[in-house]
Amino acid sequence: MRRNARILITIVIITVICGTILGVQKVNLNNFERGSDDLLGLTLGLDLQGGSHLIYQAINPETGLPGGVTEDQMKSLSRTIERRVNASGLGEPIIQILGEDRLLIQLPGIRDPGRAKALIGETARLEFKHRTTDVPPKPLTNILTEDVISISADGVSPDKTLKSEDDPDSENTSEYAESIVFEFTESGTLKFDEIVANLQFSMVTAINAAELGSNPPPPARLGVNIEGAETLRFQTNGLQILRLEQAEREGYKFAIALPSSDTEGTSVLSIEEAIAKLGTSPTVNFELSEGHIDEDIGLSGDDLENAYPSQHQASGAPIVNIEFNERGTKAFGELTTEIYAKQQSSGVRDQIAIILDGKELIAPVVNSPITAGTAIIQGGDFTLERVKDLALLLESGRLPVPIQLLQERDVDAMLGADSLRKSVIAGIAGLSLVLFFMILYYRVPGLIASLSLLIYAMIVLTIFKMLPITLTLSGVAAAILSIGMAVDANILIFERMKDELRTGRTMLSSINIGFNRAWPAIRDGNVSTLITCAILYWFSDQLGATIVQGFAITLAVGVAVSMFTAITVSRTLMRVVALTPVSKNVRLFIPTGGGEIKDNVQN
Amino acid sequence: MNFSERRPWFFLISFLVILPGIIFLILAPGLNPGIDFTGGSSLTMQFPEGSEANQKAIREKLKVIGYPESTVQNLGNSIIDEERYDLFFLRTKTLDETKKDELVDTLNSQFSPEQTNTLLSFDLVSAVIAQETVINACWAVLAAALGIFFYVWWAFRKVPRPIRYGLAAIVALVHDTLIVVGIFAILGYFLDTEVNTMFLIAILTVIGYSVNDTIVVFDKIRENVLTYTNRPFPEVVNLSISETMSRSLNTSFTLLVTLLALLLFGGATIREFLYVLIIGVIVGTYSSIAIATQVLVSWDQKTIGKLISS
Repeated sequence: MRRNARILITIVIITVICGTILGVQKVNLNNFERGSDDLLGLTLGLDLQGGSHLIYQAINPETGLPGGVTEDQMKSLSRTIERRVNASGLGEPIIQILGEDRLLIQLPGIRDPGRAKALIGETARLEFKHRTTDVPPKPLTNILTEDVISISADGVSPDKTLKSEDDPDSENTSEYAESIVFEFTESGTLKFDEIVANLQFSMVTAINAAELGSNPPPPARLGVNIEGAETLRFQTNGLQILRLEQAEREGYKFAIALPSSDTEGTSVLSIEEAIAKLGTSPTVNFELSEGHIDEDIGLSGDDLENAYPSQHQASGAPIVNIEFNERGTKAFGELTTEIYAKQQSSGVRDQIAIILDGKELIAPVVNSPITAGTAIIQGGDFTLERVKDLALLLESGRLPVPIQLLQERDVDAMLGADSLRKSVIAGIAGLSLVLFFMILYYRVPGLIASLSLLIYAMIVLTIFKMLPITLTLSGVAAAILSIGMAVDANILIFERMKDELRTGRTMLSSINIGFNRAWPAIRDGNVSTLITCAILYWFSDQLGATIVQGFAITLAVGVAVSMFTAITVSRTLMRVVALTPVSKNVRLFIPTGGGEIKDNVQN
Repeated sequence: MNFSERRPWFFLISFLVILPGIIFLILAPGLNPGIDFTGGSSLTMQFPEGSEANQKAIREKLKVIGYPESTVQNLGNSIIDEERYDLFFLRTKTLDETKKDELVDTLNSQFSPEQTNTLLSFDLVSAVIAQETVINACWAVLAAALGIFFYVWWAFRKVPRPIRYGLAAIVALVHDTLIVVGIFAILGYFLDTEVNTMFLIAILTVIGYSVNDTIVVFDKIRENVLTYTNRPFPEVVNLSISETMSRSLNTSFTLLVTLLALLLFGGATIREFLYVLIIGVIVGTYSSIAIATQVLVSWDQKTIGKLISS
C-alpha cells in the first residue's frame, strides 16, 4: 500500500507541475524560454494561429537586378529556405513560388519578425577567413612629434572629480585621475581623435563579441613610446584614453591611463614614478597594433555543404556542426593545419573568422587540424537557440540566388479564426460527452478513467509546450487518435475487470487481473503505433515530408503518455478506490446492463 | 453470432465497396488534387474598413461562386490617403484573366460597391506540397506498414503461424485505406471534392486507428488460441470477436461522438478532414472484425483459393 501512496503522490505532483506550466503563459528558466501568447502558451502552427507573411524578390546574381532567374533556381531557393525554417523548429512554413521570380513565405506564429527575417537571410555572402592575431605593431607615421605640444603626468584636481551617474553621492575619481596627459596641436588633435575612435570601436566590438559567446577578436591597441628622463613604453586600448573636455581645460588634451609598472600588469605606475620617468622635456612616438587581420583564403559559403545544430556527444552542450564539400574540405584542412601548426610553434591562437555579409558571425579557434571536412563549433555559453540560429545563418550563405524582402505583414490562421473557435468548443463538447458516457456506462471506473484522461491531456499539452512542438491540424489529428487510444486502453481494462468481477473475484484482485490481461493488447497496439511513428518520422526526415513528421512526433508523444496514464494513473487510482468503502458496492464497478452479478462478493 | 460463417458476405461487401473506388481511382482523373498539390492563383485584395468583408464572409462568397477549396487569410490593414483598408490574401485554383475579373467583380459588388481598385496583386502560386513530397509520404507509409507487419509477426510468435497475423493486419490496413481513398475518388468525380494536405494527414490517422483496432481483436484471439487449444480455429475467432465486441463498439463510439460533435458544431474549414476520419473509424472497426480476423479463418480453412475461384 505504501507503494500506491508513493505513486499517488507522484501523480499529484506531476499534475500540479503540468497545471502550473500550462497555467503560466511563458516559462523562463535561465536560458530556457518556452511558451507563447497563444492558448495555454502553446506554440500553434500557421493553420491554427497565423504568423508572418513575407514576400521576397529573387535577384539575378550576375546583373544584380530583380528577376531573370530560372525556374530551377526558384525551386532550389524555396527548398533551401524550407529546410532552414524546418531546422529552426519554428514549425511548418508555407513556401510558394509566386509568379516567376518571387517567393511567398508564411511562418507560423512568429512574434519577432526580425528573427524571422534574420533566419531567412537576404543576399547572404558567407566567408571563412584566416584571422591572424599576432599582427606586429606599425609606427603611426601621420602623428609627428611636432603635433604633441606637451606631455605631463597629472593627478586628480578637485574640479575634475566625476560623479557616477548611478550613485550621485559617490566620488568617482578614477576616470582620468592619475594619467599621462598629452596636449596636441589642433591638426594633431583631429588625427588623434580619429585614431582613438577606431581604437574604441575595436574594443567595443570585442566586448560585444565576448558577450555573444564568440571569441573576441584581439582589439587594436595603441603603443606609446615616451623618451624622457627614462624610456616609458606601454600599450593601451581605446577605453583607457579620454579626451578632456575643452570647457574644463584649455587646449586639446587627451588623458591616457597610467600604465602598469611591471610586465605582469599587476600594479599601476604611481604618479610620482611617472613624473620622474617623464623628466622635463619628453618626446613621444605612437605605434598602432591592428590586433587582428582577416585574410581571405577563398573559402566561402559555396564550399559549405551543411550546417546544423546538435549537442555534443560527451558533454551534451549545444554545438554547431559544419560540413564542407570536396573543395571546402581541402581549403578548410589547409587553414586549420596552418593555424594549428602556428599555435604549436609560437603559442599564438589564430582564429577562423566566419563573416556573413561583412558582419562577423563567430570566430572560433582551432583545437586540431581538421582534414575530414566536418567540424563542430562549440562555445562556453552557447544556448540551444543560439546554435540553431548560428547554423541557420551559416546555411543562409548558401542561398542559390540573392533575395530581397518586398513585403512583410502579419497573417491570420489559414483555417479561419472563426472556424477554429467553433471547432475548439465542439471538440471540448465532444470530449465531455465521451467522459459523460464513460461515467454513465462504466460508473466508478469510468470516473477514474475520466480523471486519468484529464491528467493525460495535461501531460501531453505540457510536453507540447516544453519541447516545444508546434501544434498544427496534423497534430490535432494525432491528438484525437491518441486520445482515442487512451480511452481504448481504459475501456479494455474495464472490460477485462468486469469479466473478473463477474466470476466473483475480490475487487483488488479483479483490478490486478484486469490490468494484467488488458496489458498485452494495450502494449501491442501502442508499440505498433510507436513503430509506425518512428518509421514515418525517420522516412519523412530523409525525404523531406515535414507535414508527415509533425504528425508522427505528436502521435508518438500522445501514445507514449497514454500508456503511462492508462497503466500507472488509472491502476493506482483504482487500487486506492478499492480500499475505500465505495468498493463494497460492486454494482458501481460493473457496466450498465452488466447481466448477472454475484451480490455476495465481499472485499 | 457466427462471424466466421458469414465471412463470404463480409468479403463480398468489402469487394463491392472497394471495386468502384478502384475503378474511379484508376480512371482519370482519379483523386482530385486540391490547390495544396497543384498550385493555383493568389490574389491580394483590399476592402475599406467597416465593410462586410472578413475571412469568413469572403470564404463563403467564394464557395457560392464555385471556389470552395479557396483559402482566405487576413493580412491586417493598411492606410492609404488616410483611409483604412483591410487586406486579404486569397488562394484559389488557377484563374485565367476572365475568371479573375469575374471573381474580383463579384467580391467588389458584395463588399465594396464604390471601390474599383480592390485588387492589389494577382499571381500564379506554386504548390504548397510538392508532388515528390506526396510520393515520399507514400513510401514512408509503405515502410511503416512493413514495420507493423514485422512487429505483429514477432508479437504473436507464441501462437501457431504468427506470420499470418502480420499479413492479415496489413490486409485490413490496405482495405481501410482503399475504401477511404476510393470514396474520395468517387466524390471527386461527382462532387468535385478535392484532396489536400488535410486529407493526407487524415489517411495517416485512419491507418493508425486501423492497426490499433485490429491488434486488440488479434490479442484476444492470441489469448483464446492458447487457452482453448482443442477448439476449432473458427470457433475461437468467433468467441474472441464476441468478447471484444463491446470494447470495439465502445471505443469507436467514443471516437465517433467526438468527431460528430466537431462535424456538427465545429468550423467549416476542417469538415472534409472529419469526413475522412469518420469513414476511417467506421471502416477500421468493421475491418478488424470482418476482414482481418476472417482472413485468418479463411487461411486456416484453406478457403482463400476457393473464395477467389468462386
